[in-house]
Amino acid sequence: MAVVAVKRCVSPLFFFSRRLSAPEIKFQCPYHKKVVDHYENPRNVGSLDKNSKNVGTGLVGAPACGDVMKLQIEVDENGKIVDARFKTFGCGSAIASSSLATEWVKGKSLDEASKIKNTEIAKELSLPPVKLHCSMLAEDAIRAALADYRLKQQDGEKEAVKASN
Amino acid sequence: MQALNMSRCSCTCRGYQNVNSLLANRTFLVRVQPHASTALLNTAFTSDSKCAIRGFCRTTSKPLGCFKVNQTFFYPKPSLTFSTVSRSKSCWKCGSAIQPTPVFFCPACKVIQAPDEHATFFDIMDCDKSFALDTQKLQRRYLSLQRSLHPDNFSQKPQEEQEYSETQSALVNKAYRTLLKPLSRGLYMLELGGMRLEEGTDIGADPQFLLEIMEINERLDETQIKEDAKNIGLSVQGRLQDLTAKINASFDKGDVQTAKVLITQMKYFSNIEEKVKEKISEMPV
Repeated sequence: MAVVAVKRCVSPLFFFSRRLSAPEIKFQCPYHKKVVDHYENPRNVGSLDKNSKNVGTGLVGAPACGDVMKLQIEVDENGKIVDARFKTFGCGSAIASSSLATEWVKGKSLDEASKIKNTEIAKELSLPPVKLHCSMLAEDAIRAALADYRLKQQDGEKEAVKASN
Repeated sequence: MQALNMSRCSCTCRGYQNVNSLLANRTFLVRVQPHASTALLNTAFTSDSKCAIRGFCRTTSKPLGCFKVNQTFFYPKPSLTFSTVSRSKSCWKCGSAIQPTPVFFCPACKVIQAPDEHATFFDIMDCDKSFALDTQKLQRRYLSLQRSLHPDNFSQKPQEEQEYSETQSALVNKAYRTLLKPLSRGLYMLELGGMRLEEGTDIGADPQFLLEIMEINERLDETQIKEDAKNIGLSVQGRLQDLTAKINASFDKGDVQTAKVLITQMKYFSNIEEKVKEKISEMPV
């Protein structure tokens, strides 16, 4: 299935490059090997318990391509991200971007994680300009997860205050 | 022709050197498209811009591109549909006046004409500009157009006519494909209204909706039973039909914003529909 999906993603680019190239020029894979690596061996796929208080869930979608991405972070009492998981239904670049994002947020503090930029993800994966929005999606997923976590903590504090009163 | 070949060569070399820059180039070309169309309209090619544009204009300075990469540039530019420029046209061969509606052959000399860059796909396919489109009528129109425009009919004709037939026939293909499916038709109608789906993240998306999409995707991904996959496919098809009806109602009311939201949802569902088909085809019989 993975192979079919990769083929699907690659074929439009392939068609484009082939049309512009003379027949004697060999086809080059337009995806960087890092994208292919993350696509074939995605890191941290799966889910964390979204109802858990120390888990933040970010769920984002890209309307133009219809991709959906879920990124979850688990935060310890010191405010450090100890675990991260993702599930992405979309093209190879979106999967690779979110896979890389989970790798990067692990071990970071919340503030450090919020500073991850889509340009850094795109640079690391050498994404072509038409695929930049995939890295944007990953950045937005991290932000959404952080926001969800912070909201949960605030709610938790309010409840604690209520209980003590 | 020499200019064409030159630009083809430069494209080729660049394509070989760096796919990334080439893709960047493509988006760039697409972005300058409206201006290029205007240039075509005024038949003035005094652009002194840099190499990328120069190559582009050189190819367009012929009335019609004759290599495939450039064909897209002659597709009607919807945003210019309501331009105030007068659209009187005349036959390129005999010079007799032609009505501005899409006319494929000169009424006087019966010679094939260049595509009308102002015609929308609805004009070309002779359909009302509405989301509720009679697909059977569309199909009949498509077949009859291709019967007369197909390049096979022009193999013995002069080269100019062959080129016009190629571009016209490709344009009719594109118009047909775009209008046939509700999703692409809806997207095209948004485009005509100067709107498109956002490239980036769907900030205004309903979290509940995204959750639903995520869950359907997960269910489909996990199932190994053909029957389950088929059921998911059926329910998604139901949702798509439901959305089609709603989009139709929104367009009828002139509520393009709601139509856009619904078309976005349609995009997510039709992605799942594709995945269902793929999954079923990969499962053992």
